[in-house]
Amino acid sequence: MPAVEMHAVSKSYARRGRPPQQALDSLELVVESGGVHGFLGPNGSGKTTTIRVLLGLIRPDAGDVRLLGRPVPDGLPQVIGSVGALVETPLFFPGFSGRRNLRLLAETAGVPRSRVEEVLETVELRDRADDRFKGYSLGMKQRLGIAAALLKSPQLLILDEPSNGLDPAGIRDVRELIRRLGRDGSTTVLLSSHLLAEIEQVADQVSIMARGRCIASGPVHEVLAGRSSGDVRVRVPDRAAATAVLTAAGFTVTPTEDALLVSAVPAPGEVTRVLAEHGHYLEELTPVAADLESAFLALTAEPA
Amino acid sequence: MTAVRTEAPPTAPAGRFSGLLRAEAHRFGARRFIQVLLLLAALGWATFTAIGLTQYASPTPERLAAAQQQLQGEVERANEFREECLASDDVPADVSPEEWCGAPVTAADLDLDWYLDPAPFSFAADGVAGAVAFSAAGAVLAFLVGATFVGAEWSSRSMIALLFWETRRPRVIAAKIVVVAVASAVLGVVAQGAWLAMAGLWRTFAGDGVALPDGFWSELLATAGRGVLLTTLAGLLGFGLTNLVRNTGAALGVGFVYFAVLETAVRALRLEWQPWLLTNNASALVVPDGLTLFLGSDPITGESTEYLLGNLQAGVFMAVVTGVVLTLSTVLFTRRDLH
Repeated sequence: MPAVEMHAVSKSYARRGRPPQQALDSLELVVESGGVHGFLGPNGSGKTTTIRVLLGLIRPDAGDVRLLGRPVPDGLPQVIGSVGALVETPLFFPGFSGRRNLRLLAETAGVPRSRVEEVLETVELRDRADDRFKGYSLGMKQRLGIAAALLKSPQLLILDEPSNGLDPAGIRDVRELIRRLGRDGSTTVLLSSHLLAEIEQVADQVSIMARGRCIASGPVHEVLAGRSSGDVRVRVPDRAAATAVLTAAGFTVTPTEDALLVSAVPAPGEVTRVLAEHGHYLEELTPVAADLESAFLALTAEPA
Repeated sequence: MTAVRTEAPPTAPAGRFSGLLRAEAHRFGARRFIQVLLLLAALGWATFTAIGLTQYASPTPERLAAAQQQLQGEVERANEFREECLASDDVPADVSPEEWCGAPVTAADLDLDWYLDPAPFSFAADGVAGAVAFSAAGAVLAFLVGATFVGAEWSSRSMIALLFWETRRPRVIAAKIVVVAVASAVLGVVAQGAWLAMAGLWRTFAGDGVALPDGFWSELLATAGRGVLLTTLAGLLGFGLTNLVRNTGAALGVGFVYFAVLETAVRALRLEWQPWLLTNNASALVVPDGLTLFLGSDPITGESTEYLLGNLQAGVFMAVVTGVVLTLSTVLFTRRDLH
């Protein structure tokens, strides 16, 4: 059963004196259970609206939304105890301590107090748990937000920009935590982030949003493969001669510092064959893989 | 090939209402601003109690004798003036001298307390008025407490965080309403208790020693009970208004415009609308036998028109206004998109 299913979901916001803004446009999104699902998109692409719709904070104009198999919003009360969420900045009482804020939330959901101590330990905030929230650094606030999301031992953990404001060590810790949660088999992490490296490093699956639609979705390597350029990097002992051979055979060759970049190669074996026929033997032939950043930029580019 | 159906792991529902209620009560009790407001109220009480103890004084036999002497002198002076009046030629022809100069003055016409300086505290005379005043103070405090409680939830956006835990918005708001209603009622009871404690201290150390008249306690308790009702309604009104506009400052601004501008304008320009004013209804709810309002006078006969706003009528009006504001704010809360 998918953790998240959204079919033909649309949402527009009325704007005074201007036409409505289409935040979600017949959105189709499926997040399978287990692992980490990256949720990418430029600002204004509809990521946060999607998350708010999932959590019942925003009512869509049309479409079908299911969370852990239950319809949203009607079935949300039956599953919300299994869904942890951190949406944008953590929302806590500034005058209360971190521990007190978590205890109030735990009380609301009937979660035992011992769980509060566990999650404080998990995010390494136990030493500062009695300090007031408003005195926390941005990173500590974010960690407390994650702790709150973990309180319910969630089956689905929704994290919206969890690395915001964290220092490099904090970012690494959060990534480790997300990776660990994604691997435990019982938790699905929906990770919304603008940090492509973060998604690339921790996500198994990725969905890319643009203009309120999901424009690409699947395992990270498949999304990347779909955007692969077909370029290959070739190293041979005699680069000048090899360049001439390949150019004569119709390839576009760009010399680099220590190799040749052969563009738009339909089949890398063809490069091998042409070079071998002319007595050039390869030291290296590597397909140039698209990274998520270039795939993301290519996918989300505004149409001309 | 056989299809394998995998069972989804059991999901956990939202917590129970009792847990939500407990959390809301803790949240309410832990609010620093509410604690400060209550502390200021307690300091105000202590200050007024101390001032009362310095301004009132029990009558000693010597002070009573001196006051009696002063009173007697006043009676004599008044009667001398009356004699002069009767003897004067200024009495109009169509009025008898007795009517024009009034009846002879006796000691019973004057209150001995007027000649006691400082005067003693009279619980019999001021007990009910004090309960009314403490009802008004309790209502203002409850309004602020109700408004800041939910206003803080909106400004810190913890209201939205709470919805990650309990998605049934009517439940969330119901828990808050219950907490505010109970807290406001408790505040009303404490305010009336504070008045009794203040009056008890004044009566013990600076009282007039006069026995309380028959029916005093029943009238005082009835007034205090209506005061508690007013305090409860004021707390809910503050809560509802702030939840409607989702901002404490905006709610207090609306309150200020209403009380300072709208009500003043109505009193100046539309006297006949006065029975619909909140402050008149709040007063009429608590004051024994209600409030008599002057609605203007006939320009030809000069006859004035008065309107008696009774306790029940005022109570129903206040309850309806509070109910409408709460219902409206709840409906909007359950339907709004929350960002």
